[in-house]
Amino acid sequence: MEQNKEMTAQESLNLISETMNNSRKEIVRNSGKYFVLWGVLLTVFSLLVYFLWKTTGKVAWNNLWFALPLIGYPLSRWAKNKEKDSRAENFISRINGGIWGTFGVFACSVALFSVLYSQFFDSPLTTIVLGVTLSPQIVLLFGMAETISGITLKNWTIKIAGWITGIGGLAIFYIAQVGAEQMLIFTFAGIVLTATGLIVKHQYK
Amino acid sequence: MFPKLDPILHSELRLAVMSILAGADEADFTYLKKQTGATSGNLSVQIDKLTTAGYITVEKGFKGKMPRTTCKITPAGQEAFRNYVEALKEYLSAGA
Repeated sequence: MEQNKEMTAQESLNLISETMNNSRKEIVRNSGKYFVLWGVLLTVFSLLVYFLWKTTGKVAWNNLWFALPLIGYPLSRWAKNKEKDSRAENFISRINGGIWGTFGVFACSVALFSVLYSQFFDSPLTTIVLGVTLSPQIVLLFGMAETISGITLKNWTIKIAGWITGIGGLAIFYIAQVGAEQMLIFTFAGIVLTATGLIVKHQYK
Repeated sequence: MFPKLDPILHSELRLAVMSILAGADEADFTYLKKQTGATSGNLSVQIDKLTTAGYITVEKGFKGKMPRTTCKITPAGQEAFRNYVEALKEYLSAGA
């Protein structure tokens, strides 16, 4: 690209439009890998907790969930630092980062509150109120975050997947009265998140 | 009478840099280099011109141990870019 090339008005407009479009695609496509990373982690953790809970019968295996952000956050920082050759951020990537960061903070806070509350105020009522409702709360938060991502990315598949995961997960939980099997709702959510990353990479190719 | 095209923006490389920054919150020097295909020296010179004009700001920092130069468009730069696009449209509509 030369700085002194004489351009016509049409060439200038074409250059603006092409450059903006390519840059926007590159930035959004790049964010796809974070969806894949967190999606794979969510799938693996949900299957692991399901397996341990199912085989031992101990609900306490759910505490393993707290290791998810402890592993995922450094991994995504590492992936970000690996982008040594180029980095840029636009409105879509910033909003998506914000949506999922907020989801993470809310999910961890709700889970932590639930665990601490049940430790200090142990009663059958606590178990019923907090123990039973934690999974649907988190799956609903997940569904909302996924749907909003679909709105920012202007992708109907992602919007619908978010709705199905959030509302469907909630419905399955209450209708089926599941035990360890409720972890499979998060496995589905993990697959949805991974698929979102792959859709983003494909859509903005 | 056609509006005069901003000479700072009416250059292929500077316009490409401004187009990228107009659609992004911020961008690394290396990202701009990759997107424009310009050489480091040429890009540095053009970024300096845009900075002097007050169209962009340049922030030098570190990412780990690696130096990192981040560019952002300023409100004045956004205004100039908008005016430039409007002027281009006027030229084109008059020619059509």
